[in-house]
Amino acid sequence: MKTIRKVLALVLALCMVLALAACAGTPAETKAPESQAPASQPPAETKTPDEPGTEMADAITLWTYPIGKWGVEEEVLKMTNAFTEATGIKVTVEYLAYADGDDKVNSALSGGGAPDLIMEGPERLVANWGDNGHMVDLSDLFDSEDMSEINAVNEGVMKACTHTSGAIYEYPLVMTAHCMAINRNAFEQAGALEYVDLEKHTWTTENFIKAVEALYAEFGETVGAVYCAGQGGDQGTRALVNNLYGGTFTNAEHTAYTWDDPLNVKALEQLRSMDGIAFDASLAGGDEIAKFYQGVLKMAFCWNIAQQLDPNGAHGDPGKTVTGDDIEFMAFPSEDGTAKLQGGIWGFGIFDSKDEGRIAAAKEFIKFMCDSEHTADAVKTANYFAVRTKAGGADLSNIWADNEIMAEYNVLMPMLGDYYQVTTNWAQARTSWWTMLQKVGEGADVAEAVAQYAKEAIGG
Amino acid sequence: MKTNNVGPRATVYKVISVIILVILAVLFVFPLYWIVTGAFKPGADIYAQKPVWWPSEWVMTNFNELLAKRSAPLWELKVPFSQWFTEKHEPLVFSAGPSVPAAFRWLINAVFMAAVAMGLTCITAAMAGYALAKKRFRGRAILFGLIICAMALPKQVILIPLLKEMNFLMFTDTLWAVIFPTVGWPFGVFLMKQFSESIPGEILEAARVDGSSEVRTFGTIVLPMVKPGIGALAIFTFINCWNDYFMQLIMLTSGANFTMPLGVATLQAETSVNMGLLMAGAALAALPIIIVFLIFQKYFTQGITMGAVKG
Amino acid sequence: MAKNKQTMSRALQRREDIAGYLFMLPSLIFFLGFVVIPMFVCIGYSLTDATMHQQAATQFVGFSNFAKLFQDKVFLEALRNTFVIVIVSVPTVCAFSLWVSSVIYKLSGPVLSAFRCIFYLPVVTGSVAVTVVWKWMFDNYTGIINTALKGAGLIEKNINFLGDSKWALWCIILILFTTSVGQPIVLYVSALGNVDQGLVEAAKVDGATDLQVFWKIKWAQMMPTTLYILVITTINSFQCFALIQLLTQGGSGTQTVMYYIYYTAFKLTQQAGHFGYANAMGVVLAIFIGILSALQFRLAKEK
Repeated sequence: MKTIRKVLALVLALCMVLALAACAGTPAETKAPESQAPASQPPAETKTPDEPGTEMADAITLWTYPIGKWGVEEEVLKMTNAFTEATGIKVTVEYLAYADGDDKVNSALSGGGAPDLIMEGPERLVANWGDNGHMVDLSDLFDSEDMSEINAVNEGVMKACTHTSGAIYEYPLVMTAHCMAINRNAFEQAGALEYVDLEKHTWTTENFIKAVEALYAEFGETVGAVYCAGQGGDQGTRALVNNLYGGTFTNAEHTAYTWDDPLNVKALEQLRSMDGIAFDASLAGGDEIAKFYQGVLKMAFCWNIAQQLDPNGAHGDPGKTVTGDDIEFMAFPSEDGTAKLQGGIWGFGIFDSKDEGRIAAAKEFIKFMCDSEHTADAVKTANYFAVRTKAGGADLSNIWADNEIMAEYNVLMPMLGDYYQVTTNWAQARTSWWTMLQKVGEGADVAEAVAQYAKEAIGG
Repeated sequence: MKTNNVGPRATVYKVISVIILVILAVLFVFPLYWIVTGAFKPGADIYAQKPVWWPSEWVMTNFNELLAKRSAPLWELKVPFSQWFTEKHEPLVFSAGPSVPAAFRWLINAVFMAAVAMGLTCITAAMAGYALAKKRFRGRAILFGLIICAMALPKQVILIPLLKEMNFLMFTDTLWAVIFPTVGWPFGVFLMKQFSESIPGEILEAARVDGSSEVRTFGTIVLPMVKPGIGALAIFTFINCWNDYFMQLIMLTSGANFTMPLGVATLQAETSVNMGLLMAGAALAALPIIIVFLIFQKYFTQGITMGAVKG
Repeated sequence: MAKNKQTMSRALQRREDIAGYLFMLPSLIFFLGFVVIPMFVCIGYSLTDATMHQQAATQFVGFSNFAKLFQDKVFLEALRNTFVIVIVSVPTVCAFSLWVSSVIYKLSGPVLSAFRCIFYLPVVTGSVAVTVVWKWMFDNYTGIINTALKGAGLIEKNINFLGDSKWALWCIILILFTTSVGQPIVLYVSALGNVDQGLVEAAKVDGATDLQVFWKIKWAQMMPTTLYILVITTINSFQCFALIQLLTQGGSGTQTVMYYIYYTAFKLTQQAGHFGYANAMGVVLAIFIGILSALQFRLAKEK
């Protein structure tokens, strides 16, 4: 007993000392760079364009998510080697997976090992890391010509890459519209091909329901999964639910979440009532694609052009499942057959290392990849569409002209909807969304679950 | 009906037990069986919707793909604490060897990590265990109490402070960040204390009277007597460190510094359906640890025997 | 012990102190540096609102993190699950391994060796590798367990083992079980082989039943082994982090405190990087584990 009391006393004494130290402002143990940042200084003002005199670093690090072939070492090395040859700056690349990539970046940010460059979309770079003051403002990289080249393709892109404070935290490289896919052979076998318009790649909600019924009658198993194991690929489930009866996820100004919309409740109830559709909490987006590729699921909700070109990233035949069935990409079903597709924008951001030399080198890298004659290669490596018409004087509008699948996919691009993934509290909204799907799948009252989790998303 | 000796009931019980055991054994062997066969299966078998029990054809494609996936320098070592002695306050890094498939590097990393952790733990724990068991120094009870309380502590508890500390010591993204906390975990000290208790006090007393120095006594008398315990601790530490996915996940960020288990987990995250690739990685990951087990198996069972005898 | 100290001369005590601490030193550096100090820092953190983003100065917030913790439904669920995992897996592993050992320890050498190795296989295969295989076995669509159950006519529709909160936690416990029993079996086999046969014979002569012999003599003699097994099994149950990260990511009712700490600290959620909060969880968990270990130790010592 005596020993225990002594230990306890020791513990308490030490706690108090530490608590006091923490209270005083900067705990001695927080030696991470972020704590050294003056608290009052807004992140947007910390950086100035690289002036002459700043010595450029000779080595930088880049972390990429698997964006097309930007996740394949062999292909990325071609790009970075070209950059090293042109500038003498060495690039070390690390490859992140969607399953644990965010965790890695966050743990690196807290552990002081954050990379210089990161390649992903605005929902992470702008709405999260940018919003939390970890990113460098890239405004000085854009001149009016760049802006007009990008706006000529889609006006929403720059808006998505710009933080509410006006700082630009992502330099966009490529974009696409997320869609879904069906297994053509399975549809044929079930006599469900009549329900889809393979010319325009669209279908109506009514036909979608009929098609699922026909498929279920033929195969007697789940044909499509509303995956909800985590947030991976959640754009697919959101687009499915929103489009089915015309519900929305956020308001047009991106100031509030609107997914407690009765139309969304109706869609969720409809999906849950269908025999062929399962809410599956054991699958994330990537697993769903895998199951579709394997031929088990007959449709996938987590699809886009990069998948169409290289299904499941397995380097098999383009547009084919592993068993050789044809894959048809489709817009999400909606009542009138004109879906609003979710956009995907990918580009580079720079983590604020407080090291002018490294930031300057990273900016050099961005210019090389996104705004030069090498941009065409960078875009092609990503397997998506360029976000701009020209880069460094080179025309980008025809880079995919020789690729039939890309040309065909263009029919979906006009359906590109609002890029709402930068709404405040986005990270919370995503989490609430898939948690809600799990609850709905387990039989919770849809209206109640939707109301509860939508409130959570709004309230933060 | 009560049976005193070996009656028919006892025999029936025994037979049934053995049958159950055999069934369970199959379940326990299955994962390894599936990994080894899966590693050599061609794509068609792997993606098949019905399980394919035996490879229709033995191929090396999975291994080839695994090895082609990433590359890394064969060996790099950051010297711990060297940043405090160099002029530019940057740690010394020794790098050697050509660029090789990352899987080889992962293997080397994992073996290095587990082996160094094992060695350090055995040395420090043997010394500390002996002191706790046989030296009547002041503060010993408090220390032992602390050790007992911290023994089963999951490392997640101190995840954030540890990460900050590693950053401060410039260990982030090096194997040292995994090794040092593993060595610090007090389970080994507890185990070695239990073993050292069984050393007869008279022998130590005799050695002291003979004028043997403390170090000599430890080296020539204590160590040989606790050797089986060290064997048991060695295997436990090696396996635990190897399997400590969590520490590896948070501490190691760059592909070149991954360990084999972390590499396999990353492959799973990247290509969730490419089971062949995954199985090839898993097979490579299992190989070294099975070898270590087979080598140390003798010490292992011996070690426990000793520990159990003492009351 | 206290008496012992008094009888020792002061010079001798000094000698013991110096020798004791010198022998402890290498171990203490690691133990204090990488376990104890971080633990205290963790306690310090838990009383602040520290975040990863650190845009404003850290404030001392007293116990408000703890107050919040006990209103956090996810945390309470995680605490319950952690408790379930420890309470279920530790005794079952002990009981199962004792049973297996009692069956196999009398078998002939090679057979005994074979069984011992087989039950040890999942441990040496590595938890990550084993988990990958189990994920495939539990699969909702093509998993072998569903295929087998369906084939045997036991179920009509596939069970979504890892996606259904009725099953997922038990699947995790099962996998954990297979990776935990190896060592205890090896330990119990040797312990059973080392039971003092003289005592056993004497008891049998006195007319004790097999069961009585087992409990009164063998079990009592194996107490140190059991203590050791309890400790390593408890340590092992916390390795479930890998299983959760690789299988369910904390969904489907498998959230545990270990995972929730990581989740709060590093997953890209709105709370990401709330270090004060995450550390408060760590403190609660540490208290829970500390009490558990002390209790186990006490119980085993008293017997």
